[in-house]
Amino acid sequence: MRKSFIAENPSVLWFLAALSLFTLTVVLLSEATGTAMISTSFVKTLGKTLCLCLIAIAMDVVWGYCGILSLGHFAFFGIGGYAIGMWLMYARTETIVLESLQNQVIPPTPQEVSDAIGNQIFGVVGSSEFPLIWAFADSLFLQLLMVVLIPGLLALVFGWLAFRSRVTGVYLSILTQAMTLALSLYLFQNDSGLRGNNGLSGLQNIPGFEETSQATISIVFFLASSVALGAGYVFFAWIVTGKMGSVIKGIRDNEARVRFLGYHVESYKLFVFTVTAVISGIAGALYYPQAGIINPGEIAPIASIYLAVWVAIGGRGRLYGAVIGAAFVSLLSSWFTGGGAPDIDLGVYRIQWTDWWLVLLGVSFVAVTLFFPKGIGGLFDYLVRKPS
Amino acid sequence: MSMLLEVSGVSVTFDGFRAINNLSINFAEAELRAIIGPNGAGKTTFMDIVTGKTRPDEGTVIWGEKNISLLGLSESQIAMEGIGRKFQKPTVFEDQTVRQNLAMALKNPRGPFAVLMHSKTTANAARIESIAEEIGLTQSLTRRAGELSHGQKQWLEIGMLLAQEPRLLLVDEPAAGMTVEEREKTTDILRKAAETRAVVVVEHDMEFVRRLDCKVTVLHEGSVLAEGSLDHVTSNQTVVDVYLGRGHA
Amino acid sequence: MALFRGSRPKTPRKLDAMRRFLLAIALCLGALTQAQADDLQQILQVHADEVASPSRRSVGVLLDDLVASGLPQVPRFLEEWAGRTVWQGPDGRFFFGQEDGDQITLTDLDSGETRIEGRGGFTQLRPNGGVRRLIGTALVQYQLEDPDISRRESAVAAIARRPAADQLAPLVASIEGEPDDTLRARKTQLATFLSARFADTPQERIAAIDSLAQDTTVEARSVLNQILQTEAGVAASEPDGNIARLLNPMEAPDEYYAQLVEAGFAPAQTGPAVIRAALEAHIRDGTAGGVPLAQLGTDAARERAYAALSKEGLVPPLVTVETRDYALNAYVFYELYDEPNAEITAAAEAALASAEQRVAFAQAADLALDGLSLASIYFLAAIGLAITFGVMGVINMAHGEFIMMGAYTGYVVQLFVPDYTLSIIIALPLAFAVTFGAGVTMERLVIRHLYHRPLETLLATFGISIALQQLAKNIFGTQARPLTSPGWLDGAWVISDVIQISYIRIAIFVLALIFLALILFVLKRTRLGLEVRAVTQNPGMAASMGINPDRINMLTFGLGSGIAGIAGVAIGLYAKVTSEMGADYIVQSFMTVVVGGVGNVWGTLAGASLIGFLQKGIEWLNPSNTLAAQTYMILFIILFIQFRPKGIVALKGRAAAD
Repeated sequence: MRKSFIAENPSVLWFLAALSLFTLTVVLLSEATGTAMISTSFVKTLGKTLCLCLIAIAMDVVWGYCGILSLGHFAFFGIGGYAIGMWLMYARTETIVLESLQNQVIPPTPQEVSDAIGNQIFGVVGSSEFPLIWAFADSLFLQLLMVVLIPGLLALVFGWLAFRSRVTGVYLSILTQAMTLALSLYLFQNDSGLRGNNGLSGLQNIPGFEETSQATISIVFFLASSVALGAGYVFFAWIVTGKMGSVIKGIRDNEARVRFLGYHVESYKLFVFTVTAVISGIAGALYYPQAGIINPGEIAPIASIYLAVWVAIGGRGRLYGAVIGAAFVSLLSSWFTGGGAPDIDLGVYRIQWTDWWLVLLGVSFVAVTLFFPKGIGGLFDYLVRKPS
Repeated sequence: MSMLLEVSGVSVTFDGFRAINNLSINFAEAELRAIIGPNGAGKTTFMDIVTGKTRPDEGTVIWGEKNISLLGLSESQIAMEGIGRKFQKPTVFEDQTVRQNLAMALKNPRGPFAVLMHSKTTANAARIESIAEEIGLTQSLTRRAGELSHGQKQWLEIGMLLAQEPRLLLVDEPAAGMTVEEREKTTDILRKAAETRAVVVVEHDMEFVRRLDCKVTVLHEGSVLAEGSLDHVTSNQTVVDVYLGRGHA
Repeated sequence: MALFRGSRPKTPRKLDAMRRFLLAIALCLGALTQAQADDLQQILQVHADEVASPSRRSVGVLLDDLVASGLPQVPRFLEEWAGRTVWQGPDGRFFFGQEDGDQITLTDLDSGETRIEGRGGFTQLRPNGGVRRLIGTALVQYQLEDPDISRRESAVAAIARRPAADQLAPLVASIEGEPDDTLRARKTQLATFLSARFADTPQERIAAIDSLAQDTTVEARSVLNQILQTEAGVAASEPDGNIARLLNPMEAPDEYYAQLVEAGFAPAQTGPAVIRAALEAHIRDGTAGGVPLAQLGTDAARERAYAALSKEGLVPPLVTVETRDYALNAYVFYELYDEPNAEITAAAEAALASAEQRVAFAQAADLALDGLSLASIYFLAAIGLAITFGVMGVINMAHGEFIMMGAYTGYVVQLFVPDYTLSIIIALPLAFAVTFGAGVTMERLVIRHLYHRPLETLLATFGISIALQQLAKNIFGTQARPLTSPGWLDGAWVISDVIQISYIRIAIFVLALIFLALILFVLKRTRLGLEVRAVTQNPGMAASMGINPDRINMLTFGLGSGIAGIAGVAIGLYAKVTSEMGADYIVQSFMTVVVGGVGNVWGTLAGASLIGFLQKGIEWLNPSNTLAAQTYMILFIILFIQFRPKGIVALKGRAAAD
């Protein structure tokens, strides 16, 4: 490990300090550990926002630093969510089923238990059989491994195919979008083995912690998300600061030049694509237990485009920009769509923000692209007057 | 004499247009060579073939002592074999400092994991310093490459090629857009480089070629028209007709 | 035709002709004879006993006589007789009668005179079901030859609904005299169906069955299927009769075992649920079958306990997998044809196979038509995108919203212009104008500033896309709006039972062709096209030759957007108009452009065809699941791009390099 990388990238320390301060504040104001000034549901919203910030950093690395506008990273996020959701749902259903079978005179056989669990989980799609992909659902460790492995392998295979045939630019964006669409269409099917459009639900209940209040669980997940974001930030800062950063920024700016310098550009792209996919999967695995439910709609291509919107608004090519963009836009979005913003009465017409927020977002996004290509992060740079 | 690069019988066609026509050309271990020719003579396409950007329809490109065929290799593999290329338009990474540009080009392991775990060494730093000195950019090491002047960018790119420690340097119009002093300096850099390796310069500017004072190959319609010293080729009537007669009054 | 003649030995051809001749005379003389003659009454009086209480066995003579008489009154009499409205008076004469309380309205069979009398002394004739069926058959012959074509048609339809053996002869008899060509063809077809099932000799049936092999209608196949009906059964040894096939019980042992149980050949299966219930029913002192309850958590322990119970005779014996399989192997499971003649079933099997092969070909043709219309839609949706992408290198994510805009324009026009034909004629150019305007505005305000930054254009146009989508939602609401097609586009062009295509899809196909021609014309034959191509190939050079690239870009973008608007009207006609309809097509449109190859109209055509046919093809392979079809199609496209990264029609040479 280079000693100098933090020195070269002072934003890491600033960021960690700000994140710690924020985390501490939330902990002190939460219901479970503090003065209860922040509701449990808001703690969950903040925790989810931290996960979104984490995937936004990943997106920033792959797009802002490496120049690959991936419209598929939210798919990896969703896969992470599904992988952990399978265990959460299985383990919780198992507890419930065992409890209800306990009162029977004759103890159940393993097969009966498995049938009952299957019936509980897959009853909504008219089945009770466990599909093959649930083979490891009873093991937390293996499912955690899946959180990392499946997005990683999918990104590796897809990236290898795409990069080796030198698909670049908007073509690649569309190809990643097609991949996302294929995945979400697949998951929408009832026989996908993941409950079709019902998705997985009840994920906020953590097996083994039935007695623990949601207030406590929420703060635990909030802390976990915070740690993950901090670690992710340091990890990505380490990647983009050194020579690796030079090479991937070089690929973004002039792929051919990097190639003629003797670097195998495809390997680098694949590395960045895969690593960011894995981090996205981890972010998803932390996000969905806080959201409580995951369904294929979450993976729809539009979600990945929003991710690009956050990063663009926050400012590409600077990690804190991605964090600012994701936090700012997603919190603003829930404020507007949640009815937090007051309506504007124009006399003839009443602007209700639940209806007009997307219009505002779309237009402001165009404005940012046109007038502030560096996003909010660029503004930050300007204020701090730090040459980049 | 053992050749560093042997190109023989190479042809390539774009949409019916024969850009390279049965071209054969050789380069020795350490020499300075200028390639001249009118527009569309196939100079850039020749470089594209050697560096792996374009695959020829026929012919062979043989490299080094082991007689490796370059045709099956990718651009990055060819670069790793020791062929460096400078584009016509200066292409440096404008967003990064001169030092970072040079560091990226330094001859070191090129794999992603090696690069990820790479740490700065004094040897590398010394290499960068010496190259910077060679190309006259010692004062500018911490500046962003985008802030450099046109000529400085050209030198930086040549510096990056030198940092690669190639055995063959392909340089496309290095003097374009340079002032007289800058040209002189460029000439010095190239001549010095050619002492230890082969340097091939594609150039339009006859004054610049004369200053290089080296063997000249004239390309015309995708094949070699004449070869020899500048005086020798300029006295060739065919060359005068196709090129000098029209292009260089 | 020989087939049909041979099949009615009771009515030789000569007699048939004579009868018809007599019938004709009778018809001519009808008015004269009706008044004074008691012809029908006389015939009936000859058979009075038979009429009054007919039996199924002997009524045939009477019916033959009635038919042979050729009297015009006969059909009505037969109808009323079968309908139980014929009454016999005290004097033995027969009347049509209408009961009304104590009164009865009597109608003379021959003269048609009516009178009212008291009910007393009159008896209603009540022929039983068997007789009525025979009467009905005799009647069909009249109806089949009725001068009124609608009665003939309904008779034919009645036969088609409930085909029976005895209808064959009258049907065949009526073919020759049938004046209407369509109906004659239908009668011939129906006669073949009937002969295949009911002709007297196997040879005749086989001949009819063979001719059915040519017939791809659903009806013909159902005739063959009826001949091939089988009944499944199980027996200790192979049964006599026309065996269709022997079945392998090991393919689904539990189901076949259930058949064995039902047939009484084997004891009931003891599955886990049965065992569990039996154990629960025999719990004694915390044990069941001698095993403590707490230990019954495994299948092995439960079976042990159950075996113990059955040893005591408390429960039926345990049927293990071995005993089940042993029982299954001891019996023969078979399917037996209802038709005893093996030659006939063999002929029918062959005919069905051949008919189904023809049907498969027809289905392939139908599929091709479906693919073609889907390809036209994709082409219309994508061609505008291809133009902007190809000429300007601009990815327009709002293209789908322009499609939506066009569809809503059509909807709004229909609010004001109620005539659907006229409204569509207005809507098409108007949609073009609206989206052309929107496209030009967008190009001037946004895209112009983002040239050479394709990824940012993608994002900016995406911003416009979400804003437009939400705007449409705010204006038109979330529910689907109708865009009604003119009446003459309703319905479908039916080529056969299998192949048909709706007129709307044909119209969209034609529209796509028109646009292909129009775009080719504009690009290849007009000044604008020349300039567009110049800008595409070398913007700098084009500018130096006095072409204003700004203007060209603006017009090109407007053109591409305008076509999207027209595509919107077309798509709106057959799909629903919603604010999200554009988003449904955008990914497919992109893939069409990418697969086809950028910057080439033919490429887009090739891409649209590939994607359209592919999607239909995959749907055909996996018809239950369109979602899966789309998933596979996208995977295919991702793989396709691997091998042809530049699309089907790729530009070559240095121009294509970047």
